[in-house]
Amino acid sequence: MNYDCIIIGGGISGLTAGIKCVHEGLSCAIISSGMSALHFSSGSIDMLGYTDDGDVVYEPHKYIDEFIDSHKNHPYAKCGRDIVAESLQFFQEQVANRNVQFFHNNSSNHFHVTALGTLKPTYLSQRSVFNEKVRNGFASKPSIAIINFEGFRDFHPELAASNLKKNQLFNDFEIFARTIQLSEFNNTDKNPHEFRSIDIARILEKDKNIERIASQVKEAAGNALFAGIPALLGIHDSERVHRKLEELTGLIIYEIPTLPPSILGMRIDDALKTIFADEGGVFIAGDKVISGEIDNNTLTHIHTENYGKSQLSAQHYILSTGSFFSGGMVSEFDSIHEPVFGLQLDYPKGRSNWYSQNFFDRKSHPFLHYGVDTDNNLRPRDKNGETIQNLYCTGAILANYDPIREGSGGGVAISTAYFAARQIIEKCKE
Amino acid sequence: MIKLENISFDHCIKCTVCTVYCPVARVTHLYPGPKQSGPDTERLRIKSPELLDISLKYCSNCKRCEIACPSDVKIADIIQSAKWKYSKRSLKLSRIRDFLLSRTDLMGGVATWFSPIVNFFTGLGIVKFFLNTFLKIPKQRRFPKYAQGTFERWFKKNSNEQQGYDKKVLYFHGCYVNYNYHQQGKDVITVMNALGYGVEMTDEKCCGVPMIANGFLKKATKNAKFNIKSLGKAVSNSEKRIIASSSSCALAMKHEYPNLLELDNSPIADRVDYITRFIFDEFEKGNIPEMAPVNLRAAYHSPCHLERMGGVMYTIEVLRKIPGLDLKLLHSECCGISGTYGFKSEYYTIAQDVGNELFDRIDAVKPEIVVTDCETCKWQIEMSTSYEVTHPISLLAKAIRGANKSGD
Repeated sequence: MNYDCIIIGGGISGLTAGIKCVHEGLSCAIISSGMSALHFSSGSIDMLGYTDDGDVVYEPHKYIDEFIDSHKNHPYAKCGRDIVAESLQFFQEQVANRNVQFFHNNSSNHFHVTALGTLKPTYLSQRSVFNEKVRNGFASKPSIAIINFEGFRDFHPELAASNLKKNQLFNDFEIFARTIQLSEFNNTDKNPHEFRSIDIARILEKDKNIERIASQVKEAAGNALFAGIPALLGIHDSERVHRKLEELTGLIIYEIPTLPPSILGMRIDDALKTIFADEGGVFIAGDKVISGEIDNNTLTHIHTENYGKSQLSAQHYILSTGSFFSGGMVSEFDSIHEPVFGLQLDYPKGRSNWYSQNFFDRKSHPFLHYGVDTDNNLRPRDKNGETIQNLYCTGAILANYDPIREGSGGGVAISTAYFAARQIIEKCKE
Repeated sequence: MIKLENISFDHCIKCTVCTVYCPVARVTHLYPGPKQSGPDTERLRIKSPELLDISLKYCSNCKRCEIACPSDVKIADIIQSAKWKYSKRSLKLSRIRDFLLSRTDLMGGVATWFSPIVNFFTGLGIVKFFLNTFLKIPKQRRFPKYAQGTFERWFKKNSNEQQGYDKKVLYFHGCYVNYNYHQQGKDVITVMNALGYGVEMTDEKCCGVPMIANGFLKKATKNAKFNIKSLGKAVSNSEKRIIASSSSCALAMKHEYPNLLELDNSPIADRVDYITRFIFDEFEKGNIPEMAPVNLRAAYHSPCHLERMGGVMYTIEVLRKIPGLDLKLLHSECCGISGTYGFKSEYYTIAQDVGNELFDRIDAVKPEIVVTDCETCKWQIEMSTSYEVTHPISLLAKAIRGANKSGD
């Protein structure tokens, strides 16, 4: 089977690259083993949130020049500022066609609220998390109700409310926590569901339920102008559910990301996969690439668990298998390796050097910036140190950046994907 | 004792992503979803089997949870084996039904002798009423028609010309071709001959999928052993490959035999494939027969079991080679029937609710024909929509016959 491009890994990075490729008429397959880290994400896209000193970055498009100058090996430096901006614009436009609207704060960062009630700077958020109304409403210091659904154990409104109140931006706001009951929960002995995010999302996305729930939310919110609720407003048609809930309650409804599975993230996953398939891309789910043949600095074909000996080949390949959590890198007791091609990774000896003692260390953990080092075109070196000419690495598998400390995970995933795809498209058109 | 090689449930990180993609949990609150039914309660069941949860029975074994799992847990296998390992069998009428539904060889063997009578009776309202009342087979369910005689018998009479080919494949026809729809088997022969291969068959029994689904694991194991031995013997002195035209049969022989039934399937493991993969490999070598255009707007539905096996890509690429075919790929959804699941009254509504999403998507495409690799998907879609459903091989055969005609 011969494609113009095979992408290994079907997360946000692989899908973005795939969409760009099929958009330009390339034949493209994505091989994905299990659902991606989008299912564990906040659903907002960070670009650059913090400086090296840990200060909040307000204008990432301005700050990026200075940042690239001082981080020559950073994936952003390899892409260049223009690609970073263009790729985020491309991403935003693509998913907008699939009912996922992203908003930015006039090209500046904005804060989004986490499940713990802390604030994080981010660049793009979905309508239910950031839009003009949210920004303007916030300026009037409204009172805020944080509302949970009784029985939902992956969100704690009291915790979120009290942490939010501790933040100096919210010091003089009235913030209170409330809980409402879903009648679907009444028969709990008959209902063995655990009431995780997906179960409640399915209740909220049904038309027949929305009016009843809206009146409950309105009553619980009392005199508040904002109602913060866990992000459970459905997957496929969340914009409509959100609008309807705002209309019926007269409140600004604000979605707060929950513990996994992340409904906000799954909206992006669903949108990207649908676009990719609609434009003729082949998405192979539930299979794992186990190895590849590299001949004369060129990746000739790959083997997967299901396809076995049959050869899958392409002119170009993208490796977007993610970091440790997604299986892009594997850590043994005293070594770290990249399991598909055995690419070179740079990390210090001694396991205790890989992490910080403090789990919530603001400087993050060292292992988060381990990964595959590449040339300026995102191409990695093989075991012998030779650059592989037709393989590109994108997203969390890359070295030399730290998604947590910099607040750059989504931006790096999208911009490196876009950069790799553009190079592949150019070569295919030659 | 816990078998150390079988603790994939321990890799579960409780992320619940499987439950998101479970078609049954989507439509009914009676099923808690694969995470809870599988890895969560497996640890409890190992400790004390009476902790068995009756909701297990709602799992239809579509295996979409395994495709979704980011941690490589064999969720559906855990549920399937728990369902039967720990449950106490009660003698209910519905067990007779399960027995009859799962013995495709037995039922088919008898029915093909009297097929006009059987087909007439299964279509009668009064018969459906009795099946519904006593055997809990939903009266809305349409039965597949039985053929006259078996495909095996037809093949014996008509296989002489297959000797004329140097290269051969071994064909695992499966129960559907044997008892219900000979034409699909004939289409396989047309396609294989056009590719330059003669078709051989050997003794085979039902692959075991319906028995696994209905808890007759001993019988499934017996059939599996028979097939491994018989097929293995037939290919042992050659490079011959084994092809199956039913995606679930192929999945059973490749995956269920070693993983669920814990059998050594090495005599056939590397030989057996779902048919489109074999054809694809030939196409790749440049062995593409002449085909006349098939000017149809076709919607392709990928069966769950083919997805699990990773075979969808081959079918799509083979279909794309048929000239004139306007191929629309449907978003991957379960049709709901899951083999014998939708043939049971207690699951009928669930099966139809699961399928609705797919039926709506088919309607949106407005195809002239629906294409799918699985016979039970075909029954479900034909019963629940107004569209005709065909097998990829039948479309291919149509294109090949068209070219032969114009060449004469």
